[in-house]
Amino acid sequence: MIRRWLSLIAVRAALRALGRAIRVAAIAALVVAAAPASLAAALGAALAWLRGWPPGRLYRAALWCAPMLAVWLAATAITARSAARLATAPYHAWLALWQAGPVAPHLAAVAELAPAAIPAGLAAGGLAWSYRLRSMETGAGGLSPGAAVSFDRRQWRHQVRSARARIAAPGAIPLTTRDGSIVAGAVIRAVGHPRREVANIPYPRMRSHQVVIGTTGTGKTTLLLRLWAGFMATALRRHAAGQGRLPLLVVLDCKGGADARRIADRARRALRLAGARATAIWPDEASLSLWALPPEQLITTLVDLIEHGTGSAAYYADVMEAVVSLAVAAPGGPPAGAADFLARLDPGWLALAYSSGGHEADLALVRTASRQIGDIALRFRTLLRRLGRGLDGPGGFGDADAWYCILEGTAEVSVAEAQARALADLLASYATQPGQTGREILLAVDEFSAVSRRLPLWQLYERARSLGLSVQVSAQSWQGLAAAEDERYRIAATADGGIWLLRTPHPEPVAALAGTRKVTETTRRLIRMPAWSHQGTSRVRPDPVVDPALIRGLDVGQAGYIYRGGVTYVQVKRLVTAPAALPRPAAPATPAAEATPTAKTTAAAEATPATRATPAEQATPAEQATPAEQATPAEQATPAEQAAPAEQATPATQAAATAAPGAPRRPAPHPLADAGALLDEAFGPEPAP
Amino acid sequence: MRVIPAEGTAGRDIAGLLFTADMYGVQLDHLAAVLGVSEARARGVAARWRDQGYADSARLGPGGPWTWLTRAGLNACGLRYTAAPPALGRLAHIRAVVAVRLALESAGGYAAGGGYWRSERRLRASMGGRVGLRQHIPDGEVHWPDSAAVPWAGECWAIEAELTPKTASRTTAIMRELLTRTGDYGCAAAEVAAGGPPRHARVVYVCAPAARPTVARAREALGGAGARVEIRLLPAGAALPRPARGHRARAPQRGTPAGSGSPP
Repeated sequence: MIRRWLSLIAVRAALRALGRAIRVAAIAALVVAAAPASLAAALGAALAWLRGWPPGRLYRAALWCAPMLAVWLAATAITARSAARLATAPYHAWLALWQAGPVAPHLAAVAELAPAAIPAGLAAGGLAWSYRLRSMETGAGGLSPGAAVSFDRRQWRHQVRSARARIAAPGAIPLTTRDGSIVAGAVIRAVGHPRREVANIPYPRMRSHQVVIGTTGTGKTTLLLRLWAGFMATALRRHAAGQGRLPLLVVLDCKGGADARRIADRARRALRLAGARATAIWPDEASLSLWALPPEQLITTLVDLIEHGTGSAAYYADVMEAVVSLAVAAPGGPPAGAADFLARLDPGWLALAYSSGGHEADLALVRTASRQIGDIALRFRTLLRRLGRGLDGPGGFGDADAWYCILEGTAEVSVAEAQARALADLLASYATQPGQTGREILLAVDEFSAVSRRLPLWQLYERARSLGLSVQVSAQSWQGLAAAEDERYRIAATADGGIWLLRTPHPEPVAALAGTRKVTETTRRLIRMPAWSHQGTSRVRPDPVVDPALIRGLDVGQAGYIYRGGVTYVQVKRLVTAPAALPRPAAPATPAAEATPTAKTTAAAEATPATRATPAEQATPAEQATPAEQATPAEQATPAEQAAPAEQATPATQAAATAAPGAPRRPAPHPLADAGALLDEAFGPEPAP
Repeated sequence: MRVIPAEGTAGRDIAGLLFTADMYGVQLDHLAAVLGVSEARARGVAARWRDQGYADSARLGPGGPWTWLTRAGLNACGLRYTAAPPALGRLAHIRAVVAVRLALESAGGYAAGGGYWRSERRLRASMGGRVGLRQHIPDGEVHWPDSAAVPWAGECWAIEAELTPKTASRTTAIMRELLTRTGDYGCAAAEVAAGGPPRHARVVYVCAPAARPTVARAREALGGAGARVEIRLLPAGAALPRPARGHRARAPQRGTPAGSGSPP
């Protein structure tokens, strides 16, 4: 009995093995029989694996072969002149392939069959690759238990490599597309979004609120510059086409310091390439006028700029507001500048201003507050001095296409807070100015939480929304968005334009905002390595759209763009801007020039009296170097000058060398040609002192 | 709106329109000098421009009527300036700068050197209307082509017309800024700050007798760099005529100015 049972088991095992062998042999025979198509399928699937392509790419490639197939069929129809021959043409071509003997006829048969075999092979490869992806995604494939994880990690590396190759290709990533979308870079992977080659951000999303989070050195500035330039280029193009208003980009860099200046310069060059005519850098090169605010708003802003206590100190806040109101709303009109305003904070001035009759109540108020006016003046004098000239005009947001405002939020927090408050009020006033034709304003704030004590970011957010401004908030971390957790959620949850997530150590809160998606999870029973049982279960479970571990491991220049429950991982393309101005290159020193360059100069000077040094130059040659010349490395002594003593023949050079024996040699000033004759002819001789 | 130049617009008219646009506006005697015609004929030309919608004219201050370009005229010239009549507070200064330009352009060396006058208005336009920027803009620049047969070929001069004296310290600061500037107006900050040769090889101050001592003191304060500052007196007829006397200013008889070359 036992023997019969054992023999039955042996027979079943043998039959099962035989069946498996027959199946493998049949598949192998099919693959070999369909050799040209199976070869194309294998190549397509291998290429998709290597480059991290989705199966759709292979399907599209197969479709692109359709013209080739059509031409082949047309040629066959013309040759055969029979519908039946045309229908069986692929079969006959395949038959000819196997009947061909030597190599050359064999290759000719392959070429004849290729128009039909290649698209069929690519489609088959796409199906096979899709099956592989699906089985690995659901956990039903792979030999080892960790195969799905390692497969995903390997595919990520392949996709990153492909995206980097794409952004490195010249012209592959334009700044904007033809339909006005802003191109951020090459797509690495998309979850819940359509898979495209390049990451396009439609322009309307730039007109909505956005959030950018990423630690230092992850490529946040590169991403922001690209988004700003794209916004500017698209908005200008829309304006030129009569589809939109002129753009205005206002950047509040709340960190300050030398880095902010460097970024400002990069931004200016990038925006110039995007079509912006003028980029003002505040407060270094441009100023705004706080005094251009409407009087009522000016009073509120000035009072808010000063910190007040609470409790009994609220009394002084009321007194200050009353005095500021008197000074701003004086009968002669609002103050024109800081000096004018400070001059008004004087009991005598206020009494005189309101003494014209009809202002008895105001005069009484001046008398009542006269004891505090001096203290109030002192506080404003200190504040306005610390604020600097940047808010004392002239100028307004309408003067430039873009404003890069640098707030020293790291070095001088209290000053930066006041500046942020004033700039927000100025921008709000500009946006709501009556008679203003309107601009499409993008307000980008970086690390605003550093200066948001007096103006919480969510308040700025809500205010901007009501004014029609779009706000782009960037921070180094989730905590950097705002001081309180509910404020952070309020900001992130209202980012209609999407959230950009670069590498950050705590991405969970933002990742959670992307939500979950339904995935199929399959469990299998492992009998022994690498044999799996045929038994298992599958279930649908929610899976986070954004993998926090993936965000933590993002490389420099990689970002996840979260929008409407999906995420697109992007390899950001660095915006190539015009290089900064370089000093004029020194002329190559030829041996002849090294030998007697100055002799030539001197000879020329002697030949043309107009080029001789003027008496002033001869008298004080050592002073000829202007501050600019002293500071410019381009004008340092050339090697030829250092090597050849003969060059010191000119008086200016001699004097420069002898003026300070121990000092390093300064470059001799370029001899200035005498233009006196022309000026004398035009204006007469120089008047005697 | 694109404006098609009216038929019969002569080359002389084009030069006159461009000159008027670049200088904010010109008074009748200066317009006659620009066009190389008599004042009566210049009045007719101005009237024709007005009829064509290119220009407007009015008596804004003492002396002859002023002519300036309208939006249509600026569009016809391809210039993106803001169309506005010359500001009343700047009439005297504008007239002085026009006189300086005419005097310089009438000199023989100017035409020989192929000089090109880049006006303050053009410089401001190149800055994109950044009113808030703290930069001093000269009243004009003169560019000399590298190939010119003059010793100062390749140079760029800053021209300043000084009617009333500023403080010496302010004038010194302006001179220093002009002499040490490295970049073009409206260029990137890096181009201004980066090392390189100064933009202006020299600064020509053409001043009224009252302003000359201050300008001279400021030049002395610069030390050796002052050698790059030239001082001359304003030509006759550069000042606005006094209203009380009621006579008109005479255009500087320097001949027809050289034509406007292309910007370098």
